[in-house]
Amino acid sequence: MSEYAISVASNMGMIAFVALSAYVILVVGEISFGQQAYFGIGAYMSGAATAMWGWPFGLALAVGSLSAAAAAFAIGALTIRLRGLYFAISTLCFAEMLRLWLNSVHVRVEVDGEMVGPDGAEGFGDIRWIFENDVTPLEFMFIIYGLLGAVLAFLLLVERSRLGAALRMVGQDPLLARSQGIDASACKLLAVMFAGLIAGLGGGLYAHFATYIEPNVFNVMLGVHGLAYGLIGGLGTALGPIIGVVLDIGFLEGIRAIQGYRMIVFGGLVAILLIVMPRGILDETRVYRIKRWMRRT
Amino acid sequence: MASRMAGDAMLELSELSKHFDGIRAVDGLSLEVERGEVFGLIGPNGSGKSTTVNLVCGVFPATSGRVLLEGKDLGGLPPHRRLNAGISRTFQNIRLFGELTVWQNLWIARRDAPGEEAGFMRNWFGSSARIREAIEETLVFAGLAGRANDLARNLAFGEQRRLELARAVSARPQLILLDEPAAGMNREEVEDLKQRILALKGSGITVLLVEHVMELVMGVTDRVAVLNFGKLIALGAPGEIQGNMAVREAYLGSPDAEAA
Repeated sequence: MSEYAISVASNMGMIAFVALSAYVILVVGEISFGQQAYFGIGAYMSGAATAMWGWPFGLALAVGSLSAAAAAFAIGALTIRLRGLYFAISTLCFAEMLRLWLNSVHVRVEVDGEMVGPDGAEGFGDIRWIFENDVTPLEFMFIIYGLLGAVLAFLLLVERSRLGAALRMVGQDPLLARSQGIDASACKLLAVMFAGLIAGLGGGLYAHFATYIEPNVFNVMLGVHGLAYGLIGGLGTALGPIIGVVLDIGFLEGIRAIQGYRMIVFGGLVAILLIVMPRGILDETRVYRIKRWMRRT
Repeated sequence: MASRMAGDAMLELSELSKHFDGIRAVDGLSLEVERGEVFGLIGPNGSGKSTTVNLVCGVFPATSGRVLLEGKDLGGLPPHRRLNAGISRTFQNIRLFGELTVWQNLWIARRDAPGEEAGFMRNWFGSSARIREAIEETLVFAGLAGRANDLARNLAFGEQRRLELARAVSARPQLILLDEPAAGMNREEVEDLKQRILALKGSGITVLLVEHVMELVMGVTDRVAVLNFGKLIALGAPGEIQGNMAVREAYLGSPDAEAA
């Protein structure tokens, strides 16, 4: 693979974490414009863990994703009573608060004679784990896809379970779900927390892939893209958001002729799909038909 | 009635009221539903029947008064806990999870028999032969055998009604609230529903039936309560209620304004 191809594939893998994160919240019937914040928390925390504290990479990723999950739980507990537009606005507000706050966070420590750590709007550089450990871009790509595969497999397993059915029920009709003995608030909180965990894991990977992060990377467009991938690819299965990512980055980025116009084509695609297929390509009905077809053959 | 011990009733409403911005939807309602009976709740539109059902299910809190199940006050218990407490319901307008299969609709509502409850992981992530058998049985009861893998929204109207009933039954309730189950049904379907309600009674489940279709109410209930403007205006055996003047006035309007 060429270096360019590896870089595009790695980016696809990492943004897929944001897409899956936004998808998990869409399943329980809410829209989040703030998943980029948890991606950012994961990036900063795990970046700090390796670059400032010298922790091993695996532990750093765990710390990054768990911090993101904890933050998601805290904000989720505050906003769980909000519905629809109000929930969406609250997610956006918290994400923007975090981004602006990161602009003023200066925590620099001396490591091997150099100052390392978040330096406000100047960003957080020298996250050099891949250089120090001689990890090639190809190897790092495999790490990304290995973890993405694990998250995806877990989500697909949950979707087959009774919990998965309960989460979809909460998304379709929370009042009815309650009358069936489902604690709808607990389900939403669980989804929000797990969505934070997924985004945080992706962020941790991103920090070590890019070696330099700054608050503006985690702006609202990252979250909006993550959302759009689920809405394009479909909300009927966790494979939907992955299809969305492949279509946008893999396909549109791949067509040289439309480069530069990609965002226009992408926006048009989203608009058309929202009209023709409101719940994406692989929506619940199509997933159901595919499953039925697979059972018969 | 006064001679009976407290807690003998399956469901007791005590001075129950619900006001919506000054409208008294339910106004000081007290009644008892006895264990094992089919209890009818009738009244004209807007008389507070559905509000009563929603108060029993905990959809919204009562303005005042109490709801007791087997003598235990349900006050403040959230709706999802009331299913576990033994109350399940059907809805006036069919409410199913349309994008989920018949099987999934029943899978969620199903409760284990007391003493056989699965642990947390088993309950949410597992699936056992026992659960599959129980759901198959419910499907047969509802006349939906072979439809397990269909999407709920692809069922015919009558089948959807039966799925709602099956779902309410699979929660192993002590008390089932049926909110206008015969709405939109033809004669044969009403007859079929009548048999199913009597079968519920036969299996020891207490039924609170809110209904407009008098043929059904008169055919299955042991006692009937009549509501008007959120108040109880008559209570008795179905035959007595049919001849009651106050009930006729509530439904048809009073011939003499003074009489109201």
